[in-house]
Amino acid sequence: MSAAVMGAPKVPRLRLPQGREALLLITLAVLVAGIGMFSHGAFWSRINLDNLFVSSAITLIPAIGMTVVMLTGGIDVSTGSMLGLTAAIGGSCFAAGWSLAATVPVFLLAGAGLGLVNAVLIIKGKIPPVIATLGTLSIYRMIVFIVLGSNWITQIPPVLTRVFVVDHVLWLPVVALIALGLVIVASLFLRYFRWGRHVYALGNNEEAARLAGIRPERIKLAAYVMLGLLTGFAALLTLGQSPMVQTSTGSGFVLQVIAAVVLGGTSLSGGRGTMAGTLLGTLVVQVVDDGIVLLHIQPFWNGVALGVIILAAIGLSSRRDAGGM
Amino acid sequence: MHASGFDRTRPLLLAAMAVLALAGFAVGHPDILSGANFGSMAVFGVEIGMIALGQTLVISGGDSGIDLSVGAIAGLAQVVLGRLLHADVTWPLAVAVTLGVGLGLGAINALAVTWLRIAPIIATLATLFGYAGLALVLSGGTNIDLTQQSSWFLALGQGHVLGLPFQLIALYLPLLAMFAFLQHGTGYGRALYLTGTNDRAAALAGLRVGRLRGAAYVLCGLTATIAGIVGAARLGTARPDAGMNDNLISIAIVVLGGTGIFGGTGSVVGTALATVVIAIVDYGLSYNDFNPIYQAGVIGVILIGVILVENPVLAWRARRFK
Repeated sequence: MSAAVMGAPKVPRLRLPQGREALLLITLAVLVAGIGMFSHGAFWSRINLDNLFVSSAITLIPAIGMTVVMLTGGIDVSTGSMLGLTAAIGGSCFAAGWSLAATVPVFLLAGAGLGLVNAVLIIKGKIPPVIATLGTLSIYRMIVFIVLGSNWITQIPPVLTRVFVVDHVLWLPVVALIALGLVIVASLFLRYFRWGRHVYALGNNEEAARLAGIRPERIKLAAYVMLGLLTGFAALLTLGQSPMVQTSTGSGFVLQVIAAVVLGGTSLSGGRGTMAGTLLGTLVVQVVDDGIVLLHIQPFWNGVALGVIILAAIGLSSRRDAGGM
Repeated sequence: MHASGFDRTRPLLLAAMAVLALAGFAVGHPDILSGANFGSMAVFGVEIGMIALGQTLVISGGDSGIDLSVGAIAGLAQVVLGRLLHADVTWPLAVAVTLGVGLGLGAINALAVTWLRIAPIIATLATLFGYAGLALVLSGGTNIDLTQQSSWFLALGQGHVLGLPFQLIALYLPLLAMFAFLQHGTGYGRALYLTGTNDRAAALAGLRVGRLRGAAYVLCGLTATIAGIVGAARLGTARPDAGMNDNLISIAIVVLGGTGIFGGTGSVVGTALATVVIAIVDYGLSYNDFNPIYQAGVIGVILIGVILVENPVLAWRARRFK
């Protein structure tokens, strides 16, 4: 495998902003040290760490898909509504007495289907991604209301929580291990597989990629559908974390996902970014979230903190990158 | 393609849509066609219509220009105003300070996009977080009651001039005239169109592309602030989450009004006509007791539908005039 990589003229990794991962690691270490100290050890409690890992995993899984979508130069702001709608559809199956094994495919297919709707609007309909998904954001949320009415779904099988959240393998909740595994697979895929390389090529210069024989539509389609699929999976895990579907399930979620991806160094102009960055970005977002709770800061500061962190992190690096312009 | 000017078929299309929408609601509820209801529609339309004026400039400036933070600015403006009024600041001063704060919020967007060179979607998503969070922090997450404030202040959102809503006659229409003049009658308007069409050409022609676009974000922040102030005066409350769906609705209005999403085209006059259509749809839905979530959903359908219809038409025209 390594021979094939060394022989390749362009290794995508070389195109990444230098030191982004190091910067994130330092940020993370400072945050963890600070919160660990000021929370009088509460941060290091088993319960808090497990919560942190589960929440991180649920953000990270769609963030993997969002990273690929943004690498192709797109974005999907409908992810939170998509999570809510998939949870409503899957939750309705649970409420109808379906078994876990029968319902898991429903979550995945519903997610992939909603991702496909976005992909078709963006690719066939030629609507800019942010506008198309801003539209589906409100449409999917409307359908959640139609599906749920004014009811909550609470008949979530407890086995879901046990399997994914309570059970531990290697000191980590199962869901965190799954998320880590997906990050590694996605990372290897982007670095060593033809389609993965095409994603970067497409994000760097769509016209050149097309002339080189790459079919941008197919890669974009695959990216949005994959994001939908992963969001469907995240919806399932969300029900494992808190076993209830309500009309607001998933609102605000997309902001966390996008914050994690852009903090991780993936640029919206496409073609640069890594899964390792997204992993670290997710952890920073979740540790800030956790710290605000542990330090008894008003939760309203969460949005302010994230907004400032995003502007500072991207602003610094994009000014440096654009220095020559 | 039509250059900076105005697509002549658009006003007819929008007028037809407005009549159709109105007729549709009138079938179910004939009493919607009363003077009082038209007044309520105008009052609703004025606030989102102002925001759409600013959004028009931002989008027509090109480079995927978009302001997702407009609703958060409106909410934060209401809270700042509410806190000032409760600190016994006289209302003209409080309004003036709030307008200044709104200019500042718009300037932060402008700097993030033009100086830090962050993609507009990400920059205004980040400020959306930030402004909405600040509004919650400043208000403690609760509404601020303003019903006891000076009746002169409340008249900003409840008064009447010649039997018509004050904010329509004294605020929206003058603002529309100013924006139309800015866009079609000044060098700034022409320069912004050129920037939206081809920013490289604009830069080579000596235009300060960053400043032109930045000014659009500042003006957009200002219109969102005025809309927030009027909304607070109308309801007698300052709500931190006042503008929750304003970004979606204002973008839908701009697109429906014929401003191309790739920049360089469109007019605030089209935006104003589209505001009438959206105001009718939104008022009609709430008159029929539909939840705001349904209103947002319907507007999402309109937004996507308009572009799906429009893209093939534009492609056809481009082919025909090549």
